[in-house]
Amino acid sequence: MLGKALTALVTVLIGIGGALAVYYLLNKIAELMPERWEARIKPYLYILPAFLAITLYLIYPAVLTVINSFKDRFSREWVGTENYTELLSSPAFRDTLFNTLLWILIVPAVTVVLGLVVATLADRLQPTGEKLAKTIIFLPMAISMVGAATIWRFVYYAAPAGQEQIGLQNALLGVFGKDPVAWLQQSQFHLNSLLLMVVLLWSQIGFSMVLLSAAVKGVPVDTLEAARIDGASERQIFFRVVVPQIKGTIITVFITVTIGVMKIFDIVYVMTNGNFNTNVLGNEFFNQFATNFNSGAAAAIVVMLMVAVVPIMWYQVRHFKAEEANA
Amino acid sequence: MRIPVKKSTSLLGVAALAASLSLTACGGDSGGSDNGNTVTIWSSIDQPVQDGLLKALEAKVGSDIKIDWKKVENINQLIMTKIQAGDTPDIAFIPQPGVVKDMVSLDAIKPLDDVVPQADQDSMIPGTLDAGTVDGKLYGLLVSANVKGLIFYPKKAWEAKGWPTEVASIDELNQLTETIKADGETPWCMGIESDTATGWPATDWFETLVAKYGGVDEYNSWVAGDTKFDSDIVKQAAAEFEQLMFTDGNVLGGREAIASTNFGTAGNPMFDAKPGCWMYNQGSFITGFFPDEIKSDLDANVGVMGFPPATAGGDNPVIGGGDMATLLNDSDNAKKVMAALAATDIGNDAAGSSSFISPHSDFDPANYADETSRSYAKVASESTGFLFDGSDQMPGEVGAGTFWKDMTAWISGQEDLDTALKNIDASWPS
Amino acid sequence: MTTTATTAAAATPTAAERKKAAGHGEGNPGKAGWATKLVLVILCLLWIVPIFGTFVTSFRPLDDANSTGWWQVFTKPSMLGNLTLDNYSNAIDGSNMGNALINSLAIALPATFIPILVAAFAAYAFTFMEFWGRDFLFLTIVSLLVVPNYVAFVPLLKVYRDLNLNGTFAAVWLAHIGFGMSLAIYILRNYMATLPKTVIESAKIDGASHYQTFFKLILPMSVPALASFAIFQFLWVWNDLLVALLFIGPGENEPVTIGLTHLKQQLGQGWELTTAGAFITMLVPVAVFLALQRFFIRGLTAGAVKG
Repeated sequence: MLGKALTALVTVLIGIGGALAVYYLLNKIAELMPERWEARIKPYLYILPAFLAITLYLIYPAVLTVINSFKDRFSREWVGTENYTELLSSPAFRDTLFNTLLWILIVPAVTVVLGLVVATLADRLQPTGEKLAKTIIFLPMAISMVGAATIWRFVYYAAPAGQEQIGLQNALLGVFGKDPVAWLQQSQFHLNSLLLMVVLLWSQIGFSMVLLSAAVKGVPVDTLEAARIDGASERQIFFRVVVPQIKGTIITVFITVTIGVMKIFDIVYVMTNGNFNTNVLGNEFFNQFATNFNSGAAAAIVVMLMVAVVPIMWYQVRHFKAEEANA
Repeated sequence: MRIPVKKSTSLLGVAALAASLSLTACGGDSGGSDNGNTVTIWSSIDQPVQDGLLKALEAKVGSDIKIDWKKVENINQLIMTKIQAGDTPDIAFIPQPGVVKDMVSLDAIKPLDDVVPQADQDSMIPGTLDAGTVDGKLYGLLVSANVKGLIFYPKKAWEAKGWPTEVASIDELNQLTETIKADGETPWCMGIESDTATGWPATDWFETLVAKYGGVDEYNSWVAGDTKFDSDIVKQAAAEFEQLMFTDGNVLGGREAIASTNFGTAGNPMFDAKPGCWMYNQGSFITGFFPDEIKSDLDANVGVMGFPPATAGGDNPVIGGGDMATLLNDSDNAKKVMAALAATDIGNDAAGSSSFISPHSDFDPANYADETSRSYAKVASESTGFLFDGSDQMPGEVGAGTFWKDMTAWISGQEDLDTALKNIDASWPS
Repeated sequence: MTTTATTAAAATPTAAERKKAAGHGEGNPGKAGWATKLVLVILCLLWIVPIFGTFVTSFRPLDDANSTGWWQVFTKPSMLGNLTLDNYSNAIDGSNMGNALINSLAIALPATFIPILVAAFAAYAFTFMEFWGRDFLFLTIVSLLVVPNYVAFVPLLKVYRDLNLNGTFAAVWLAHIGFGMSLAIYILRNYMATLPKTVIESAKIDGASHYQTFFKLILPMSVPALASFAIFQFLWVWNDLLVALLFIGPGENEPVTIGLTHLKQQLGQGWELTTAGAFITMLVPVAVFLALQRFFIRGLTAGAVKG
């Protein structure tokens, strides 16, 4: 065990030291160049390692994916746009698109609002209280999907009427003398999709809370004090002083969550696998990819997602440009 | 939480995808087919079955060949990924005929016709070779089987009631259902919830019914996609399912509860002091889910009868599944191991210590550990044909996709039968 | 920035508000009223109840958990007597936990540190340096956020096989660096963009090189963002099963997540051990979260921002 720990430690040090050395060397290389060149080359050297990693792990597979989306299930023969037309002509797939849209409309907004609520409110507690509240909200993030699925099973599970209910919600209904409800089957008003979103919110609010909390803490105290001395109410301070200063982070969180939600699949997969009209694109991708072994259809779904994300990115870049112009 | 049995999405959960490609005991490194006399095997078979088979296998091949047998999680998805990455074992146990077909079309596996001794092929229960046969050649050899279409009942309470322990036809089964209900009891336990694989127990019911009503040929034609879902035979099966499962008072919790009740625990009310339901139609593996006190003495607590044929004494095929050995490397050593796996007595050790059921008709029943296992084996060997689980043979889009999903939608009342059957037909890949 | 404050001040203050504002302590800008506390208590309860239920369940025998609700432990004394540590001891024994914990740390620490360093350099370049193709490159990187990382698995297995990397720690580090990079750059760049440009300008005038500015100014000012991202990256790597399975696989170097899969049998028996295992493995990320909490301190950047 000790030997193992030592080997591991040495490997870790080599890995971390190596990474630091790379940048030191890259910087040295740039500095050896004539000054005019140095300034021109340096940015590229700084992004080079990041870009190499992205090229191998994301760009190269993404390009293969675009190519595969025009090929058959084993990526051998060209099939033109067949993968796309087949998907889009299926009514089930259109339901899937609609559900995905629902997730995109609801989840990012709620995540940001709730995250902001926790970050701001906890900020006002005594340090111990703040730590405790934040840790509790963060806790679900530390739980793996298997854990989360098990946990929520004990909330939503419906046993046949008359049997002992082991699901919390149905046990509560039982207290009021009501029959159990099979929660995840209730597709009227997409109730079951909403219940799945609750699981995601529960497990991911910690993400938005942590980022927003860092931003809230970054708001300079003197601006708050100034407002307070001027007699602004806490609500006014929040909306007119705090929010404008953390707008950048709010947008970052919103867009990150939106993109995450676009490819969401694990919660849906584990809890319903898209049954009862809860299917979403990410889950459909996964089933095409890993159940049907149809890499053509799977690739086509990813390409659709990549196209759909472009407007969001375009907005983001424009927003930054505008900010810079204002600064 | 319940983990789906061996279906292609048999996932553990963890970051869902995680499970999908997960292997439990095999390295990300190469299967090591080049390491001289080591033969690597991957399987997702239950550990006790694997241990039993390995013991017998090592005794058979001797010390010249080293067996490196790794238990992996969800072999179906793993093997397809690894084949595309060019990193495979010598022998892989595949539970899904559809995957065996995909492996053939990727040229990843070798035909076994000349590898498996003819005598061992001849001793297989009729039909067990079909699922692993592609274009007339044998590629997947069933080594460890399970039997479906078994009706479990709580033996002690059942005998106290004096109900029949054998039914000769589906009509008699319907009558038995009425008898139980007339006694003020709920005849059936039923649950098809299986998280990512919800719906599969319903497909097993359909397969059993189609096989009993239609016989071997009709069944095979349906599984191959030649007979549509929207056809008389499938509708006949649906009508019987509907009569048994949807009639008021027949199922614990009623029709609404079926899709939300977990298949693993659905049968447990049978063992309550006053049984909540009395019959549960499932595969031989379901006993693993029964409460510990029941499992500790299966023979005393659990009775089992085969799902009856359509007419008394008529054609009576049985549905089952299992793990098929496939050969990815035709080195001499790998072939030797494959031939050893094909022998009838390879199961002698496993039968006594696990849920193993032999696919060979000349396997000695005395090897099985208990009476319950012997009764499954009897159902299989006395059948007029062993038909491999149909949803496992259909293309993934259907067998692990729409067949599960549309059955679930129909049972939970979100689709009518016609829509469900038409949707399944429409999803069949061209 | 002060403009907003003045606007806010235009509203007529009440005496009570003045008093409240005046009575307030150094770092803590607001004070929690009963409403604040109530909201937080309710939220925390909603968050903790499902976890608590499962926590209780992880001490229950399987048959109990399958047949009765976890709350009955508190209502039926006989159930309380059934509670057991077996799930935990079986989980620890079955998964070779000690060795796996070391492996998990050996994987997670560099896989957290390296991507942050790499991303911070890139984010710095994207924020504070002018170069041709900057926006295009940034847009490309961020668009790639939407690509599910599993599309990369098959091509990567092939590349790794050619490089003989499969089964090594480096294989997983590199994979996590690659998969986490887009988000890391995105979050860090957006954070750095909120840092005042004036700081950089004055550093430049003082003759500091980019390298110095980066290490001496920008990194310290970005600590809250670095700490938040470190938490997430550590969490993802720690809880990752898939990447570890594909590129390290079970065996000598397996992390905890793989260790726990050994507990489960094909037919699904053994999930109660996974629950216990989940609570054991949860301890480390929570400790990391608590440790990094101290970087979320008001005013850490305030001094610089003021300038």
